[in-house]
Amino acid sequence: MIREVELAVVGAGPAGIEAAIAASAAGVDVTLIDSAPKPGGQYFQQSPEYFQPDDGSDREVEAKRLFKRLCSSDVTFLPDTLVWGLFAGPKPGTWCLTLHGPTAPARLNARAVILATGAYDRSVPFPGWDLPGVITAGAALRLVKNQRILPGKHVVLSGAGPLQLAAAAHLVQAGAEVIAVCESSTGLLWRCLPRLPAAWGQWSRAKEGLGYLMALVRGHVPYRLGWTVISARGEDKVREVVIARLDRGSPPSLGGQITLAVDALVVGYGLTPGTELCRVVDCDFEFEAYRGGFVPRRNENMETSCPGLYAAGDCAGIGGAKMAGAEGQIAGCAAAARLHRLSEREARARMAHARAVISREQRFARLVGDLFSPRPELYALAGADTMICRCEQVTLGQIREAISFGAQTVSDIKNLTRAGMGNCQGRTCGTIAAQILASETSRSVESARYLSIRPPIHPVPLAVIEERTQDLVRTSGEVTPDGSN
Amino acid sequence: MCVPETTSALPSFRRGKAVAVVVDGRAVRAFEGELVSTVLLAEGISVFGRKPQSGRPAGLYCGMGVCYECLVTVDGVHDIRACQTYVIDHMVIETCAVRS
Repeated sequence: MIREVELAVVGAGPAGIEAAIAASAAGVDVTLIDSAPKPGGQYFQQSPEYFQPDDGSDREVEAKRLFKRLCSSDVTFLPDTLVWGLFAGPKPGTWCLTLHGPTAPARLNARAVILATGAYDRSVPFPGWDLPGVITAGAALRLVKNQRILPGKHVVLSGAGPLQLAAAAHLVQAGAEVIAVCESSTGLLWRCLPRLPAAWGQWSRAKEGLGYLMALVRGHVPYRLGWTVISARGEDKVREVVIARLDRGSPPSLGGQITLAVDALVVGYGLTPGTELCRVVDCDFEFEAYRGGFVPRRNENMETSCPGLYAAGDCAGIGGAKMAGAEGQIAGCAAAARLHRLSEREARARMAHARAVISREQRFARLVGDLFSPRPELYALAGADTMICRCEQVTLGQIREAISFGAQTVSDIKNLTRAGMGNCQGRTCGTIAAQILASETSRSVESARYLSIRPPIHPVPLAVIEERTQDLVRTSGEVTPDGSN
Repeated sequence: MCVPETTSALPSFRRGKAVAVVVDGRAVRAFEGELVSTVLLAEGISVFGRKPQSGRPAGLYCGMGVCYECLVTVDGVHDIRACQTYVIDHMVIETCAVRS
């Protein structure tokens, strides 16, 4: 089945929802697509319907307001739907999205597309990082806040940036024993002080951060600056972790090693933009370390180098939920203008507020990005037999071999070793391979480039690609290989 | 109050309607709104699968459908992401413990 729409928005987080509402308010026929059953994305994730009570936080209030605006708009929401491909549409200048979901058409032809696919946790490999019980900060937050279950009773957190602080606070409040929080970045205070103006006015963030810190203080949780986990051990599950102070040098020296007994380790070294759909259609990219690496090049209207294809929010560079919402509004208005539902002048007027938000948020995003970019020394923690590509089980030793064989880019590494060729399509190991290549060859991370990706960008059954989907869909949203239930 | 009888689930919290699922051949009580990964963790199962290339254990990692580490078999269909699939009544979930 093929459905025609004016505008398709991929991803129903802060950016996608705002984009859909803005375009719909201008009279555009909008379809908003998300792989989850409800809108919200990772930031405004909604609890399962029957789970009570809500946590009553500021964020929940903000989320409810946003969902209310979405519900009262004319936006069509397509839940439980995976977008597995993006192609040129049948008519010149249009796009075709290929979908997989219980109520989704096989294809959606759109005259404009806004990508708002968000971001995911950035990983740093170390011995034992692939043991069960080692989870990302994003996973920990989802377990505690959304699923209301503890990943473990005795937990260590290690990473860089505010996300793990949030995860630690939620774990403490939920009753876990948080043994230590390791923040690998150093000199936060003296690096932050000269740039305080960038943080000026971020009162709601300050309040949230302070609340998390207070939760850690009340829980007597040690917060170790400049420390990191260096290995995780256990037979089939993490049982103990070693943390150490990461001192500069090559190789970095590891001071004051401590072994701690745990039943869960939470890791999070910032976020990586989910740029898969931009890479599928080969948009132009640019490298911005503080925004998470390679991001699609956009004009001031959030339009990529491909006409009619917009990217908004964290998928186009890490900036946080407020910036994502503002970028979404701009993309939505710009798409409406492109579809002749708004005059250029009216579109500009509607974007004015969002532009002010963006200029404020950009300064803050830059500050956070600079403060918490994972230190290159972290990538020296892995050993030769440490798994780098978890899907294809490719070790650091094999990647080093490929580099000494002459690999110049992450694509070369992929071609030689299969790293990045598995189920996750390099989402986990792509940035790691780039860091390894850079440090092994003493070149910039940028020169390692980024992995190419082709549809399907998520594994889907062949029957879906053949578009024999209608009779295959089960109530749980998954399909059986032969079409029987 | 439906408080799951598991150690790691948070208490004093009302969950969805109880549903009956089968985990590795065992009858297990779960709750509507829970993900397959939640049910497995609540049952104390952390090894969801094993890597075919090396036999190394795999389990929940990213929790948001990105990393494909948490693959299990659901109702006979293999390679289903436990972190993206909600439980329904009579669901049959199999980890590597059964598959191997």
